Amino acid sequence: MEFDLDNPLTSSDDEQQFEGSILALFAAESNYMISTAGTIDLNTRRDAVSLVLQAHFDRNLDPFIAYLAINYIDRFLSKREIPQGKPWIVRLLSISCLALASKMKKSSFALVDFQGEEGFIFDAQTIRRMELLVLGVLDWRMRTITPFSFLRFFISFFSPAQPPLLQALKSHATQILLKAPNDIKMLEFKPSVLAAAALLSAAYELFPVQFPAFRAAVSSCEFVDKAKVWECSSAMCDAAAAATDICDDTTPMSSDTPVTVLGLHCSSSESEPAVRSSSDGRDMKKRRVSSEHRSL
Amino acid sequence: MEKYEKLEKVGEGTYGKVYKAQDKATGQIVALKKTRLEMDEEGIPPTALREISLLQLLSRSIYIVRLLNVEQVQKNGKPLLYLVFEYLETDLKKFIDSHRRGPNPRPIPSPVIQSFLFQLCKGVAHCHSHGVLHRDLKPQNLLVDKEKGILKIADLGLGRAFTVPLKSYTHEIVTLWYRAPEVLLGTTHYSTGVDMWSVGCIFAEMTRRQALFPGDSELQQLLHIFRLLGTPNEEIWPGVSSLRDWHEYPQWKPQNLARAVPALEPEGVDLLSKMLQYDPANRISAKDAMEHPYFDSLDKSQF
Repeated sequence: MEFDLDNPLTSSDDEQQFEGSILALFAAESNYMISTAGTIDLNTRRDAVSLVLQAHFDRNLDPFIAYLAINYIDRFLSKREIPQGKPWIVRLLSISCLALASKMKKSSFALVDFQGEEGFIFDAQTIRRMELLVLGVLDWRMRTITPFSFLRFFISFFSPAQPPLLQALKSHATQILLKAPNDIKMLEFKPSVLAAAALLSAAYELFPVQFPAFRAAVSSCEFVDKAKVWECSSAMCDAAAAATDICDDTTPMSSDTPVTVLGLHCSSSESEPAVRSSSDGRDMKKRRVSSEHRSL
Repeated sequence: MEKYEKLEKVGEGTYGKVYKAQDKATGQIVALKKTRLEMDEEGIPPTALREISLLQLLSRSIYIVRLLNVEQVQKNGKPLLYLVFEYLETDLKKFIDSHRRGPNPRPIPSPVIQSFLFQLCKGVAHCHSHGVLHRDLKPQNLLVDKEKGILKIADLGLGRAFTVPLKSYTHEIVTLWYRAPEVLLGTTHYSTGVDMWSVGCIFAEMTRRQALFPGDSELQQLLHIFRLLGTPNEEIWPGVSSLRDWHEYPQWKPQNLARAVPALEPEGVDLLSKMLQYDPANRISAKDAMEHPYFDSLDKSQF
């Protein structure tokens, strides 16, 4: 059966079943969290993730496959350490996780696409053994619950429920989420929190008029830890700002702390968010610029 | 596989042989199930990966037999996959048999039936909320822990990539007794109702200690059903006469269902009749079944 990141529990479109499965999703999402993200070796992670992103870039890979592969890499690295100075193991891990993610997404996958050029060639048996090692370490729990699984649920809080608007909102939030794994800080947040924060960011940018009502509706959802959503939103904002630092030399950086979509100063610890209008629209611009530069 | 020592063959699952085995390191008793999933040049086959990870997801429920591990073995130079499950001493078929014959034949106490049926509904509801149909529910596939009074669904998951076979791979005939009429009539659209029909048949069998519809061919199976529930028609089951294998059948009037399950109290008969609705769309769902008055006297907090 196909694995769909939007719908990892493979429930049907039946509304009653969808309701049952959204409860199951909220109940199960913590099982896919990495509780020991602190133990991940950052250099190894950076190398492994950049190999995935490179493959994504070179082969025009489905971004969801890259997302899933990075999730597998993170979960693997949080449980196993890779010896320093063995770049080929990191490469083998990346290729194996990409292979597994492609198979989960039912995408055609040819190993030859992912090796050869940089000097490491792995035979089929080696990759097969690595696949099994990864599967064992991840306990065969490959149907990861990701933020994408929660988009449909949170979008239902948006009004007016016009399909073109909802579609735009979803696709913009998806773009924001696809960039999230670049930043290891995002591993601290539950998938549902990431989904809510990304949708709020997207709504703020695309539909500022409807944003306050949407924010109020999402905050009233019983499954959501509001404080976590604000915190996540701040982190997303920081990450976007950092990306702007690196990617966009032409925009002079202001000395102001960036403003999150929720109107919080990124560095502030205020708990009551109030929407602050973006006076010159620069934040929005920054975000756009950064999204162009960092399309995962 | 050197991790496990095979102790004995304990059965034929729908999809292959099952062995009782012992984990050499921990002493834990497990069930080993050989799959026909071979590793190939491209590594783990995508179907196996998706099915096994689904099984892993479902087996988090305590009403589903837990998948403990997946092992790879070399057989004739080809790597094969074995699934390692938790082991339970008995299944519902053996449990029912032990109450029917042997040294001490006796009815299964009704609180036990009630509890087993509730657990079965809970497991089925879990599968259905994940979009998974079992499609081969039968007493042999329901494992039982007699001491703890626990029932768990087994032989699940790998059914989706393969159609439910008429014969198992050892050519043993697969039982038809629990098969829903729409399946027997060749429907192309399977819904959750196919499992609820099986649940109804299993429910009746627990109270009768013998099968409700023991057919030995697809036609005989249908006739068993029609004799008790009446021959279906377009009025009670819209669309039935357009199903692929529909023919003209003898016309029977519905019998009183309570007479087929004399030991069952009226609420139980009512629930059973809702599980045995001809039109799959009218059949009660597992979730709604759990709310049925039949379970009012059950302490649900223990589940």
